[in-house]
Amino acid sequence: MLGALLYLRLTSLKNQIISRAKRLRQLKYLLGALVGGAYFYFLFFRNFGSSSGSRGSQRAAANQALAALPTPEALAQTLPLIAAISALLLLGIVILAWVIPSNSPGLRFTEAETAFLFPAPISRRTLINFKLLSSQFSILFTSLFFTLISNRWTFLGGNALTHALGWWFVLSTLNLHFTGAALTLSRLVEGGVSPLRRRLTVLGGLIVVVGLTLGWVWRDLRGPDAEDVAGIAPFTHYILGLLDHGALGALLVPFKFVVGPFLAPDARTFLISLAPALLVMVAHYSWVLRMETSFEEASLAAAEKRSATLASVREGKSVFATARTQARPGPFYLRSSGRPELAFLWKNLLSTAAYFNLRMLAIAAAIILVGSKWFLTGATPDIRAARVVVGMIALAAGAYVLLLGPHLARQDLRGDMPRADLLKTYPLRGWELLLGQILTPISILTGLTWLCLLAAALTLQPTGRMALTLTPSVQLAIVLGITAVTPFVCALQLLILNGATIIFPAWFQSTRAVGPGGGGGIELMGQRLIFVFGQLIVILTALLPASLAAFALIFATQWLIGAPAAIALATLVVLVVLAGEVWCALWWLGERFDRLDVSSELRP
Amino acid sequence: MIEVTGLTKRYGSFTAVHDLSLAVRPGEVLGLVGPNGAGKTSTLRCLAGIIPATTGTVRITGHDISADPVAAKRALAFFPDEPRLFDYLTIRQHLNFVARIYGVADHEAIAEPLLAELEIADKADQLPGELSRGMKQKLAIACGLLHGPRVMFFDEPLTGLDPLGIRRMKDSILKRAREGAAVILSSHLLHLLEEVCSHVLILKKGEKIAHGSLAEISAQFANGESGVSLEEIFIRATGGSEH
Repeated sequence: MLGALLYLRLTSLKNQIISRAKRLRQLKYLLGALVGGAYFYFLFFRNFGSSSGSRGSQRAAANQALAALPTPEALAQTLPLIAAISALLLLGIVILAWVIPSNSPGLRFTEAETAFLFPAPISRRTLINFKLLSSQFSILFTSLFFTLISNRWTFLGGNALTHALGWWFVLSTLNLHFTGAALTLSRLVEGGVSPLRRRLTVLGGLIVVVGLTLGWVWRDLRGPDAEDVAGIAPFTHYILGLLDHGALGALLVPFKFVVGPFLAPDARTFLISLAPALLVMVAHYSWVLRMETSFEEASLAAAEKRSATLASVREGKSVFATARTQARPGPFYLRSSGRPELAFLWKNLLSTAAYFNLRMLAIAAAIILVGSKWFLTGATPDIRAARVVVGMIALAAGAYVLLLGPHLARQDLRGDMPRADLLKTYPLRGWELLLGQILTPISILTGLTWLCLLAAALTLQPTGRMALTLTPSVQLAIVLGITAVTPFVCALQLLILNGATIIFPAWFQSTRAVGPGGGGGIELMGQRLIFVFGQLIVILTALLPASLAAFALIFATQWLIGAPAAIALATLVVLVVLAGEVWCALWWLGERFDRLDVSSELRP
Repeated sequence: MIEVTGLTKRYGSFTAVHDLSLAVRPGEVLGLVGPNGAGKTSTLRCLAGIIPATTGTVRITGHDISADPVAAKRALAFFPDEPRLFDYLTIRQHLNFVARIYGVADHEAIAEPLLAELEIADKADQLPGELSRGMKQKLAIACGLLHGPRVMFFDEPLTGLDPLGIRRMKDSILKRAREGAAVILSSHLLHLLEEVCSHVLILKKGEKIAHGSLAEISAQFANGESGVSLEEIFIRATGGSEH
């Protein structure tokens, strides 16, 4: 029976590889594969097969790096520390698997598998073995990928093979543990009182067990004294002492067994570490096999949920987006007459989280104002330093929202593209529809950027020579200028991304492809890279004229009218240029949308 | 009301619809029939302005759908076989949204009886995810009817409806036609077409092979026999296969 199930898995894998190879005949996938391949090459493989000249320079660099490495004695001390910390990390992951409630049935089946296998005369144990073997495909691939990354960690010793096998041990054991934990929890909550009470009881019990264990460990711990923190070596020794001895040391032993093969610096140590690692794995396997709990119902529900998620992602939504199950009132009253673009703003706001509204924006602004007042009145060095940190974080967050936010806020045409046929029946010009579609992400991103800007403006106070240049009036002019420009920059970014879906709908669809045969592959990664680079180039090109004009104006006029007025003038010019660009892009992309043939272009 | 001249739709080298001409006057219901892949959906989508025709002209209430799409689309409604709904809008919010898009003043006064007619008034505050397939189909129909279209295109309108829903849908189409709407509907349910349609157009491999009133089509393919059903006519006209 297991042979038939393996046939299913291997044949599916073979056909998936063949279909992916076949689609390389399409230019979009071929280019994606080339770019993705080049990316992988430069990231992981460029050191292989390079010329002798460059090999010489690499050798010199390697020698330099080696010289910087710790001595063998230090390494002998470092590796146990890494082993102990890795084991601690694994312990944390395992605790999370038990404590954080999960709806996972332990064994994940696809809808097709539930339809074919559950009614078939197959024992539960065979199904478990099938799923465990199936998971090995992704584990092997992940191990290979992790090995490519960890191969650079030369300080660990070992080689690619020991690292690959080491990763395989870690990932396989974790997979077995997650499966066993989920099946055990399923068994514990079977029968008895209501599901919520059962869940709470089990969860409570687990928290008590974990709490008692941590308490036992805590009792053993001792704080560092002055000698321990005198340098890196004594501090390392102190940490190692905590992790290697006492209750925590005992608790970490099996986890150290698991990471042993990966951290083995040579072949001999690797072979020695195999036996305990295998022991832990076999123990986990027998535990999972004993958990013959009825996972079918939970697996069915999970398969349906996964199927719904895939369908949702295919419709252009984020994989993290969960379907809202409750209706809620509109964000504002939508009258029957007026500009149709507002209808899209209204509709798309309904598809976002409820907290994206004006009231929350006002509350957040009030919190920032009150918080910054406390910062501004504090005069101690600590508060001044904290103020700078908060200001820099706010600035970084603002830049992040402005640059990457448009990729995340997808409440626009990208989300509605699967309904393009419906949109095209509306009596609207393409530009009206496009403008309406981008209004929601513009509002959200502008609001968030403004909040970050407010926090940065209130907390970052220039000092020294900077204070002479950035006078309060100059600061105010800069802040107001950025505030005014923000919605237009957001609009441009969103138009580029929405434009990509209109101009290259087939490319866009393929980058959104998910599920078997569609969701992964080096070619799709390459396509996404092409999109990101393309967007970067276009936005920089779009911002260049406005930026040049602004700098030229400020440079030429600040001597005559003063810096604040020059900045204000430059802002006006920037606004005119950006508004012109936004309008041109809207008009052109709208025309393209009007001519878009959804029947022939929306196929992945 | 609907005038089509020389409509051709090509996908690359494949011709889905070839040189199709037809006219549907107010009050007429034209049934579009044909085997799978005959070009019915492509035809309807070209007529509704969803996809551009490769050549030919389509005029809706006198407006060229290519030259003046906004005016043409104001007068039409397209009902796809699979309802396309917005996940986060309730039934009532869908109607509110559509009312704004089409500029339907006082839409509540129209929406309430419409929801009652389609028997989804009690679900007005539910999201599509909470509705059955048939209910979703009814919501899509309510959205299409809200602006009182004078031209309607139905692509397999009865998919997912229960027997009572099918009966009501037929009555609804006939009611709109009696009120002066021009209707084109495609369906494989030939008995429905017999009951609802005043005219039939048979397509095969993108070509029009028969077009006329039911009586005319019947006379064309009956070979002198009486009481020949539309199903029999369809089989005779298309040769009984897709190819």
